[in-house]
Amino acid sequence: MIEVYTWEPNANSGKPLFCLSEKGVPFTHHYVDMGAHEHFSPEFLAINPDGTIPAIVHDGFVMTESTPAMEYIDEVFEGPSLRPEDPFRRWEMRILMRYMDNVVAPSLAMIASNRLAAPRFVGQDPAELRAQLDRIPLPERRTAWEKLMFQSTSEEEIAESERRVAEAIGRFDAILERHPWLAGEEFSLADIGVFATFYGLSQARPAEVNESKTPNLLRWLRRCHERPALQAAFRIGRGFIGQRAAEIRQQLSVSEATVR
Amino acid sequence: MITLYYAPGSPHSTAVRIVLAEKDIEHQLHKLDLVAYEQHSPEYLEVNCHGMVPTLRDGGRLLFDSFAILQYLDEVHPGTVLAGGDPRERYLASKWGKYVETHIASHLAIARWAALKGKVPGHARAGLERLLPERAQLWQRAMEGFGPEQLAVSTNALVKAGDRLADDLAGNEWLCGDTFTIGDIAVFPHLFQFAMLGIRYPREIDDWMERVAARPSVAALKEDLFPVAVMGPEPGRWG
Repeated sequence: MIEVYTWEPNANSGKPLFCLSEKGVPFTHHYVDMGAHEHFSPEFLAINPDGTIPAIVHDGFVMTESTPAMEYIDEVFEGPSLRPEDPFRRWEMRILMRYMDNVVAPSLAMIASNRLAAPRFVGQDPAELRAQLDRIPLPERRTAWEKLMFQSTSEEEIAESERRVAEAIGRFDAILERHPWLAGEEFSLADIGVFATFYGLSQARPAEVNESKTPNLLRWLRRCHERPALQAAFRIGRGFIGQRAAEIRQQLSVSEATVR
Repeated sequence: MITLYYAPGSPHSTAVRIVLAEKDIEHQLHKLDLVAYEQHSPEYLEVNCHGMVPTLRDGGRLLFDSFAILQYLDEVHPGTVLAGGDPRERYLASKWGKYVETHIASHLAIARWAALKGKVPGHARAGLERLLPERAQLWQRAMEGFGPEQLAVSTNALVKAGDRLADDLAGNEWLCGDTFTIGDIAVFPHLFQFAMLGIRYPREIDDWMERVAARPSVAALKEDLFPVAVMGPEPGRWG
């Protein structure tokens, strides 16, 4: 049996959900409510002491790195293959996932959390915030949250992250001019890895991602949103990411797939 | 024909050379001198715009990102499989491949720069101006020197990496289980530098270090394992 402990189908949490849905593999989903800090609860820390989501458990084997876990899922389960046959294309798939994981996604996370999460902490009791920080197991994550809670992310850091996201948008658009999917002619884990974080790009950054500036990226976003398995995965969770995905589909004029 | 652009003192380069030897893959070597900052020369930046080693030339293609190169070589060439003996071992090897880059190599470079009192000589400054912004920023920080706070963060990250390594090695002959894998190969050249830089790690790791070092593929590269003051991948910028 495969079990997935995640929050909503979004970013790293979304990767195993999109991947399992594309493969058509039945799984058990355990909702981890980040808003209620459930990823730092004793129950979840017993599964992943780092307190990061997702955690994927297959017959007792715990995986907490979402990108290698997607390769594991693709290898172990039947269903359409999500990795190119050709080793060079696989290399391309992997370097894109690495670029997304190490460079692009953290930059976008820095920008988004400073915009969305940081304002919530203004005026809160610093002692209470310190107590919350103490519950975060990973030092690098504690540092990021400390910056959010005390509004100490510098303008330069945000500007650098903006530069990196803009660069990634251009880079992906150029790749998608050459072929329909990120690692070639076939849909692959690279598409899932990027889509899980970028699915809302046309809505979130309309001035940068649009018909005239990034036609290839926009076509790719449409192609991804059209996939019935990805639409189905957006229905996992409590609804607010699913609702957002439905709005994006409408904005992109993507029709709803027949519910399987 | 395969050509590897590599440098002594670059753990990521050594990892690729171990795989080439383990699988007995015919290849040519193109050696770069990190002390002379050849990795920032206009000629090499044509090969690898990040100014980092290693790069693999296979026919007309240029491949970078060392762990992905290890996986590529293992998939293309027959012989001993190094990716792992089963899906679990393969997951663990990939997990470590990622951890090496995000949590080990980046912090090791900072600890190394401080311990070896790294300096960018005058003749190498022009090279920094040719780099991509993210690489130029990292080298700029190195030139200014890393403060005690950053050094503490990096040292703690490395100590934690050693503890995690010991956890995964507990009861296993190799890092990912019963099979010698690209996980061992990616980690070892980095761990080798820990002791020299005074980074402590659990004693259980020594047995594994000896097993890896005794492999002919590794023993032949001993000279390349010693640290050089050079920047590695960028440390994580957010969470």
